[in-house]
Amino acid sequence: MSNNIVSKFLNWMKSAAGFSITATIVIAVLASIASGPYLLVNTIVTGGMLALVATGLTLMLGVLNIAMFAHGEFFMIGSLTAYYVFTPISNYIGENPESFIAVIGPLIAMAGAAIVGAISGIVAEKLVFGPLRKRSTDNWVMNSFLLTVGLSMLLINLHQLIFGADFKGIVGYWTGMPVSIADVFISRDRAMAFVIAVIVVSLFWFFMTYTRTGMAIRAVSQDITGAQIVGIDIEKIVLLTISLACALSAVAGGSLLFMYPSYPTVGLEPLYLAWFVVILSGLGNILGAVAGAFMVALLKVITVEYIGAGWDFVVPSALIMLILIFKPSGIFGSDVRGALDK
Amino acid sequence: MLLEVKNLDAGYGYLQILRSVSLNIDKGEYVCIVGPNGAGKSTTMKTIAGLISPMGGGIIFNGEDITGLSASQITKKGISFVSEEMNLFVNMSVRENLYMGAYIIKDKKIQNERLDFVFSLFPRLAERKDQLAGTMSGGERKMLAIGRGMMSDPKLLLVDEPSFGLAPQLVANVFESLDVLKDQGVTIMLVEQNVTKTLAVTDRGYILENGKIGLQGASCDLADDPHVRKVFLGV
Repeated sequence: MSNNIVSKFLNWMKSAAGFSITATIVIAVLASIASGPYLLVNTIVTGGMLALVATGLTLMLGVLNIAMFAHGEFFMIGSLTAYYVFTPISNYIGENPESFIAVIGPLIAMAGAAIVGAISGIVAEKLVFGPLRKRSTDNWVMNSFLLTVGLSMLLINLHQLIFGADFKGIVGYWTGMPVSIADVFISRDRAMAFVIAVIVVSLFWFFMTYTRTGMAIRAVSQDITGAQIVGIDIEKIVLLTISLACALSAVAGGSLLFMYPSYPTVGLEPLYLAWFVVILSGLGNILGAVAGAFMVALLKVITVEYIGAGWDFVVPSALIMLILIFKPSGIFGSDVRGALDK
Repeated sequence: MLLEVKNLDAGYGYLQILRSVSLNIDKGEYVCIVGPNGAGKSTTMKTIAGLISPMGGGIIFNGEDITGLSASQITKKGISFVSEEMNLFVNMSVRENLYMGAYIIKDKKIQNERLDFVFSLFPRLAERKDQLAGTMSGGERKMLAIGRGMMSDPKLLLVDEPSFGLAPQLVANVFESLDVLKDQGVTIMLVEQNVTKTLAVTDRGYILENGKIGLQGASCDLADDPHVRKVFLGV
């Protein structure tokens, strides 16, 4: 029995997925031993948040077949909302430091970010993607891609026009002493950002795997005609998917506000990193996107540590090129095109 | 009358395929549409299932006008379509595919009853319930597609080319399972290229040629018709 598990594990290790996950863990541990555990902490916090943005991206790609290049702007919308929701709350906390708002205030800001993100996703579908879907069925991927680039520019410039180009940041969400885990001090905000990412991604995975609606979303991604045949209302699923994907990105923006203050182009970095993740892990695979998020995060952290901060986009991009040459479907990618796995 | 199609015109884009097709099915009947390639058999099915919106004419199901409704709305009215390409969810297990077939049924208990019914119909599917649909053989996929079509407890089952791409032995299996469904009282409309076999098992048939209904009548009469024998059976 145990022998069987061991041989299964060894087989898994030989697959691209097993090998790369094991290699990531080994490199992360070795690097932390060599340079200090903060590397591991940085990887985990960055990876957790990246996972949120990347799952949203994966969802858009897998279900709606949209190569979303405006996803970073929903991150920006999330951070902007969190800033405007949290600033009055933070003033209130300043006057009443003992009130329970000090604990749940940041959560309110993040929930606000999620709700506004979801609503703006729905608006984007109603105003931009929906009309295009009605008009053109040919060349959908290219047309929708161009639309997302346009949407991205529009949102960046709208931010600049209405809210200005300055940095809108906060000092921190949760005040108090940093948490200490194994002699490493992690600020409460970072620890909470990771915890929130874990909770949101797990909830999302559970939703996609076990609920009727989650299954319907996967069904639409795998065979849209089949989904229509069994009675799934495609328009509803499309709206739900867009709002979910945008809310995921906005939550990431909201909960990282203490690290990335809101400004017009704040979304570009998470967007590019999330695209690295999606290409690395393969299109339309949620658990793969989560694993890929930690790999890209590690790659970025290690590049900054050993090569230099200016190189943090060069090394992942080079790796992406190699992957596209040797394994175009990605490390965890399904060979079934456009299919969204659990 | 369960389904009445009146003077239906349909096609793709500017290309009209069906010209004034009229047909009807009574409850409990086993009706076939046969005809050569490109006659519009699948188009007829897709139009009834709501995947193509008709250019003209009307479709009345169970006394209700369903012309121009979307595919999901038509499924909710009680028409289940098993397409030629099967349109299975390839990265889902057999069980998940079947549960998706019962998407319009919200009650978990009824869903499980339907699942047991389909498993009793196709014991093979029960054996493979955790396998991914994309990794199954052609015959098993066909069974899964028909099983999924049955999950919603349809009043009318539309089956498009179930024998397409299957080995002869598997074709026999698929026809047997349709016979079982008919004995259960399911109304079936079958589209097939395998004319001899189809006319032997069905009650009534329509011959579709160039987007028009050429002949219609009891299947045994059609099988004896000189024109049908000449064109389809080559004798």
